[in-house]
This record gives sequence, C-alpha cells and structure tokens, in this order.
Amino acid sequence: MRRVFLVVLLAGAIYYTYVAFNDLNFLTRTGRPGPGFFPRLIGVSAILITLWTLVEELRKSEDQRERTNPQAWKDVVVLMALAVSYAVLLRLFGGFIATVIFLGVTLMILNRSQPMKNLALAILIPGGVYLLFDRVLNANLPPALFELPI
Amino acid sequence: MDIFADLMMGLSVAISPINLLYLLIGAFVGMIVGVIPGFGPSAGLAILLPVTFGMDPIGAIMMLAAIYYGAMYGGTITSILLNTPGESATVASTFDGFPLAKNGRAGPALVMQAGASFVGGTVGVILITILAPLFAQVSRSFGPPEYFLLAMMGMLTLLVMIGSNWKLGVISALIGFALGTVGVDLETGQSRYTFGSAELIGGIYFIPIAIGLFGLGELFYAFYNGLHKTGTGGIVQYDKEERFWPTAQDWISTRMTMVRCSILGFVVGVIPGAGATIASLMAYSTERSVSKNSENFGKGEMAGLVAPETANNAASSGAMIPLLTLGIPGSASTAVLLAAFLLWGLRPGPLFMEQNPELAWGLIASMYLGNMVLLVISIFAIPLFVQMIKVPYRVLGPSVVVVCALGTFSVHASFVETYLMFAAGIVGFFMRLYGFSPAALVLALVLGPLAEEALRQTMTISRGSFGIFIERTPSLTIICVTVALLVLLPLLNRFGNTNAGEAEKAGS
Repeated sequence: MRRVFLVVLLAGAIYYTYVAFNDLNFLTRTGRPGPGFFPRLIGVSAILITLWTLVEELRKSEDQRERTNPQAWKDVVVLMALAVSYAVLLRLFGGFIATVIFLGVTLMILNRSQPMKNLALAILIPGGVYLLFDRVLNANLPPALFELPI
Repeated sequence: MDIFADLMMGLSVAISPINLLYLLIGAFVGMIVGVIPGFGPSAGLAILLPVTFGMDPIGAIMMLAAIYYGAMYGGTITSILLNTPGESATVASTFDGFPLAKNGRAGPALVMQAGASFVGGTVGVILITILAPLFAQVSRSFGPPEYFLLAMMGMLTLLVMIGSNWKLGVISALIGFALGTVGVDLETGQSRYTFGSAELIGGIYFIPIAIGLFGLGELFYAFYNGLHKTGTGGIVQYDKEERFWPTAQDWISTRMTMVRCSILGFVVGVIPGAGATIASLMAYSTERSVSKNSENFGKGEMAGLVAPETANNAASSGAMIPLLTLGIPGSASTAVLLAAFLLWGLRPGPLFMEQNPELAWGLIASMYLGNMVLLVISIFAIPLFVQMIKVPYRVLGPSVVVVCALGTFSVHASFVETYLMFAAGIVGFFMRLYGFSPAALVLALVLGPLAEEALRQTMTISRGSFGIFIERTPSLTIICVTVALLVLLPLLNRFGNTNAGEAEKAGS
C-alpha cells in the first residue's frame, strides 16, 4: 500500500510541476522571480525525491515490506466511511440532526454493549455542541438543505 | 527595569477577570488534551482554534497558549498511571514514572511531575522575559534573506530530527509548500492552482488542513492501532496508597535535576525543529549520565521522572522565543499558534513586542499565572483526569469527529473547507501509517508563503544572485548556525534515544 501511496504522490507531483512549467511564468516581465519560480523548485524537488523513495521501496524484499492487519483496517475503514457519511449528512440535514444521526449510528457500531448510554450520548453531545457553538460562541453551524419535521 | 515595567503592564492585562477565566479554561482544556493518548497539543490547538473566534484577541491567544503548555502537564498523568504517554513529549516520563507507580509511589510521582513541570515552565517563562526583548533587538537587522534562511532552518532542523525517514519528511514538507502556493499570487495577481474555483482564490486555508491532519488523522491512526479496543484495566490505583505527597528527600534529591533540565529544555526548545520531545529525551539521558544512581534509571528513580518533565515544559516555553521575536514556528504546535496570531491580524516578528506590547507582555505574564494554575489543577484535579482516562476511546472518537467537523465549518461557514478537512484527515492517516510527517507538512504550509515572499524579495534585491546569502553578515551567521545544528542535532538525538532506549529496556 505504501507503494500505491507513493505512486499517487508522484502523479500529483508531476501534475503540479507540469502546471508550474506550462501555466506559470518563471520570471515577471521586469525580470523579477515570477509566480512559477517557487512552484518549479518545489515540483522538481518533489518529483526527484518521490522517485528516489519509490525506487527504494520497489527494491525492498518481501520481508522488509509492511505487514497488513485486516482487522485493524476494517475498523479504521468503517470509521472513515462513517466520517465521510457524516460530511454528506451535514450538508443535507444541518449540524444538529446530522450529528445526532452520526453519533447514534457510530456509537451503536463501536460500543454495542451499551445501547442506552449510546442513545443518551447521541442526544446530549449534539445538544452540548449546539449550546457551545450557537449560543455561547455565536458561531456558524451547518444549515440544513432539507429541514426534518422535528 | 524596562522589562519589569513591561511585565507589570502585561500582568495588569492578564489578570482581568475575563482573561483569567480564559486562562483557566485553556489550562484545563490543555490538561485534558494532554491526558488523551494520541492527541498532542497541536491537535488540541487546531481543533479548538475555531472556538476562540468570538473572543477578544488577547484572551484568545492566552487561552491557546495555555492549551499548548497545559498539554505538557496532562500528558504525564497517563505516563505514570497507565504506562501510556498522553503525547510524544511525555514518552520519557513513562521510563521511571510507571515503575514508580508500580512500586506504590504513584501519588508522589504525580505530585513531583506537577512540581517539575511548574519549575520547568516557570524557569522557561523567566528566560523568555529576559531573552525575548534581546532576540527582538538582534532580529531587527534581519531582512528578506535572513527570513528566508530562518524559515529554511526551521524546516531543515525538523527534517533532521525525523531521522532515518528524512526523505518522507522532505516529501511531507514539499506537499506543504505546494499547498501553500495555491491561490492568487499577490505580486502579479496571477491565479495558481485554483482551477477556476472561487473558493481557492484566497489559497488553501491552514485550519482545515491542520484539524484534518492532527485531529482526524491521529484519530484514524489511533483506531488503526486498536486504541479503541484497549480498556483502562492497567491503571494504577494511586488512591489506595499509604502516602500521596512526596518526601522531603524527593525534593532535595531532584533540585539540581530541575535546574539543569530547565536550562537544557529551554535551549533545545529555542532551536526550531527540536521541540519538547527531543528536550525530554535529552534531559533524561543527560540526567542518567550524571546521576550517582544511574543503575536505578528505568526502575523507578524520581530524577528519571523529574528530568524529562522539567525539560519538556521549559522547551515549550523556549519555543515561544522564535515564534514571538522572529515569527518562525519551530514545531507543529507553534505553527498552529502562529496561524492563530495571523488570524487575528497579528504578525509576530522583530517589531511585534514593540508594536503590540499589551498582547506580547500580556501573553508572557499569563504564562506565569498559567503555570501556577496548572500546578494546582494537576495536583488537585487528578481524580477528575483519572475519570477522563476511563472514558473509552470508542466513545471519545466519534465526539472528536463531531468537534473537528463543526469547528472547521464555524470558521468561514464553508462546506468546501469542511470537506477539505475530512480529506486531510484521510491523507493524514496514510501519512502517519507510512512514516510521513504531518508536522512537517503543516509547518511548511505556514512557512511556505512566508519563505516564498522572502525568497522573491531576496532575488529582487540581489538581481537574481544567490551570493547575497553569504555577503550579508546576519545571513552568513544564520547559515553557520544552521550547519552547526544539522551536524549537532542528529548526534544529540542519537545520544538521547540510545540512553532512553537502554532505560526502557531496564524498566521492562
């Protein structure tokens, strides 16, 4: 997986450098360093060092490569998926309702043995957060695209 | 006398009831951030930065600073009672802290760590009071070449301290620099990497990235490591011990350790990139080398706990010097603090203390008060923090996701930034997993625009010649200091890690 990550980074570095050389000027008309000056230095350096790291990674023997732990991956992927769903819910139902749904579902998955406690937390935490952000700090909470009838 | 008068003026600012309240909240929250394993001060600061937006700038900066140095106090409680450091700067505190607790001396260990942290933090603030004006005086002769070199020094020393994974650190820093170039180029007005998006014209905002990398990224990584499955069954029951308070012998035997490690920690803290973790490991190793009881290190020696605790708190104070006087953060935490200053329209640097005396001296004065508050909290609120340690990570984790998301949204009411934060969280997880450095990325994201501006100004002044860096005396001095640090720091790092590793083995 580290190899895949490095390949993605390399692709990003190549694209970044391509834009730096194609769209951004190295010098201004008056001969001063232009908007492409720094990006070109960064892009070329990023390509070289990522390539170097990738080649080293490819040369590693089977024993030296990282071992994956399927159970550890499962838990973290579940949490990531729930977090991404929460981002979508925030847009749809706004800060308070999305948080209640997210906490309710997440706690039911992660903390199955205490359903009543989960339910209480799924209501109390969003309530506390609402009071803190909306009432005390007068800060913005995400508005709902669709209002739920509650 | 000027310093004394300035400090008194700062004290008058800091002791207003509302600022004292902010300080108290900051110290308390800092302790909580420190207590939670997997979350360091940078995560705490990034997550809570949006909460300060409705506040007065002085109170907000005082509160954030208190979170920063308060985390150093809190991190040790879990090191002692659970053998799990609350954050990286308290790793060295487990070597003797946990053996002390196992030997039935958890109470004295907790009190001594609070005392040591107080001494380290207070000596650090005294040194800031004396040295910050001098640093500001010296740095007034600095121009764009020096600022560029200072930014590079901060990055290079951080990368050197990463050690064998330095290439991954460089890649992380380059990602940060690249993200820093997004937006309109202020000199020519040309858009860079905005792809027609109006949201990106102002650049990639620092807060979503920092919250994503340090908040969500660390949380995902903690889940990957199974922290949500582990309970707190191994927690030492300190309240069942006969004696809670340390003996006079504990204080007497460690008094010189506190003095030595305060100064050592402060000096290491001033060096950009070194930070509290290195300071604590070095202090532990140094103390072990000079101690008459070196064979007891790793088995429950009080000096082995006091040394890293004093050093990491002094280092967190020391790191404020380059931040306040040069505007250069030396670590991820101080980078978040710098971002907070910038958000309030304040630009730390040589003229900062002169132009913003109330804020600068108010902040310094608040650190004296903050350390006193933390001393009291960290002794008398231990039962409360023990209860917090018992909150399972699987319950805490989802709440952290909520605070990260709503905190990010509250800054600019932007869904794009909220999504960016989630993306940064996932990227941050992979970075941690594969040995990259989120801290280097964040530092580069903050320093990148400053470095670019300074480099372009330098090239304009010198008409494209890099010779300017060796022609100017301040630049040449900074280059020499950087080279010396690049040679010295890996050696010190190795010295610290080797001795600490031996102690860890001895204790296990």
